[in-house]
Amino acid sequence: MNPIAPIFYTEEYKDATDYFRGIVKSGETSSRVLELTEHIIRMNPAHYSAWQYRYKTLLALHSPLDEELRLMDALAIQFLKTYQVWHHRRLLLTALNSVPAAEAELAFIRRAVAVDTKNYYTPGRTDKELLEADVRNNSAWHHRFFVVFQSGVRKGDEDRELVLRRELAFTKEKIALAPNNPSAWNYLRGILEYTKTPFSTITTFVEPYASTSRSSTAEQEIVIDLENPYLRKEGGASTMKAVEIWRSLANVHDTVRKKYWEHRIKDALSSIQK
Amino acid sequence: MSTKIPLSSLGRSGHSSHCRMCLLGLPFSQVEVDSSRIAVVFYCLGTLDLLGVVESKTSEIERETWRAWLWEQQTSSKYGTGFQPSPYMTTSAASTDHTEYDVPHLIMTYTAILSLAILRDDFKQLDRSGIVRFLQACQQEDGSFSALPNGGESDLRMMYCAFVISSMLNDWSGVDIDRAVAYIQRCSSYEGGYGQTPFGEALGMSALMFRNFIHYQSLGGTTYCAIASLHLVPDTPSSPISERISPIQRARTIRWLAQNQTSSGGFCGRTAKDADACYCFWCGASLSILGEGGLVDEDALAAFLLRCQFKFGGIAKAPGERPDPYHTYLSLAVLATLPPHTDDTSWKLPCLDTLWNATQDTTNWIKSHISDHNDLGSE
Ligand SMILES: [Zn+2]
Repeated sequence: MNPIAPIFYTEEYKDATDYFRGIVKSGETSSRVLELTEHIIRMNPAHYSAWQYRYKTLLALHSPLDEELRLMDALAIQFLKTYQVWHHRRLLLTALNSVPAAEAELAFIRRAVAVDTKNYYTPGRTDKELLEADVRNNSAWHHRFFVVFQSGVRKGDEDRELVLRRELAFTKEKIALAPNNPSAWNYLRGILEYTKTPFSTITTFVEPYASTSRSSTAEQEIVIDLENPYLRKEGGASTMKAVEIWRSLANVHDTVRKKYWEHRIKDALSSIQK
Repeated sequence: MSTKIPLSSLGRSGHSSHCRMCLLGLPFSQVEVDSSRIAVVFYCLGTLDLLGVVESKTSEIERETWRAWLWEQQTSSKYGTGFQPSPYMTTSAASTDHTEYDVPHLIMTYTAILSLAILRDDFKQLDRSGIVRFLQACQQEDGSFSALPNGGESDLRMMYCAFVISSMLNDWSGVDIDRAVAYIQRCSSYEGGYGQTPFGEALGMSALMFRNFIHYQSLGGTTYCAIASLHLVPDTPSSPISERISPIQRARTIRWLAQNQTSSGGFCGRTAKDADACYCFWCGASLSILGEGGLVDEDALAAFLLRCQFKFGGIAKAPGERPDPYHTYLSLAVLATLPPHTDDTSWKLPCLDTLWNATQDTTNWIKSHISDHNDLGSE
């Protein structure tokens, strides 16, 4: 037999996993299993069998799961991108099913998100930079969309008209702060579509950003996201205005997407001819 | 077309050597792939396949023993049959003596079949009905698929693997199509892409909240899985293909995918992130499946991937990073799908089947050795 892509194991890993296979076979659940699985996980956090068996052992031993959770805090930050780490946390929290644990979890998540987005405080970073980093955090925008629109109506949010106005104001403010941020523009488009609000209602807000006469570097990316406000049933003159902007994107400001903008122009022109 | 510097050559021999080396062995720093080794094998063999050097860079003996090794990973359990990542959890020589910890894995089953096809196996050992039972065991109440029949991650990647396997077997009896399609649709995000899991189902006071910050938002890789899956699955009366992606959703997805091609020429996988070689495939292939591959600036894309080449072979996720088989394969796969305009023959790559993610020759092999045998029955 000629194995494909064998991994050159260290003696330490080989011994630990040999031992682990023996334990799985015998079905042993004991505190040394917890030590062993932690040892393996630290060497290879993607070892899903070690995680599975560790969880089974914790339950069998009636181990305090909140202690396990604290141990996991360190591992989660160290192996932020490893699925198993988070899956294990989720199992623990579900089993714990307690309010203090859930609250601690929220605090922990905030820390982890900060690490993930490198949005933690480092000396020399100004408040403005931190705020900007937050505005640019695409995850935060998605989270907001879910909380506001997809998770049921929260107390105080019964007036949906008011909620929409609040979200529009919030988003416009953030766009004004960092106009070339596609995450915020995508959110703006998302809430308009979700609430079936015509894009034309925000024309006056958008227009200054869409001016094709300006040509600062920031401008280049801003205009990218302005393809919509003139369209949607309006046709005629507003379509021609959109086409004009798209042409400048295709030829000057956003040439990497030249073919995309040309495709939009073709689509728009054929829709007026209909 | 703006002013372009002519493309230099694609470093074909370096890329095949990089993958050939990995097939011979991986350093301990790669130990995380212990539980996903067959996927790495596929990226290595897939690279050799795209470069047309499987026969010249490997010996007949190697190919034969590798096929044997891959078949060793096919395991039958009470959950049906599939492939394990490697023998890393095998506790017994007897293939009938299984624990709950060495069950088959969906991604490994998909990549094992592709690897065997690249090695031109006859597939006489494939346990078709066992695989169908395995798919059934992996499908969850909510329509999604988990990686393992007794747990593990469950997201659109697993869905995609289950769909390709069903399509290869030409047998969809392992999948509840309507529930699966509804799940994919719930993963669509307001941005136009697809997240790994539907956000709403994942909240609650759990760690998944954090995971979902990363995973429910539009992601290049899962968007590919969603789009490809929706194109793989056959028509059903309650879910006709024409109604699976609405015109508005389609336009939004195309817009988001096109937006991801950054000024570097490469694609990013999340809005406003840096370009990464693997997302060039996930986004580029998605556009191609949607019939809009023409919207990509192929020359800028190729120029970006050239900069991701490592000087000693292999392609990295970004310029200046270390190469790996995953990024090497996916870079070549998108170059095969959306080739640059150049007369330099080093860029010539074979046709890719973007739905199964393999060369046309390899998918034809699978069709003639697996798909067309469906009426023969399996037992
Ligand atoms: Zn990547």
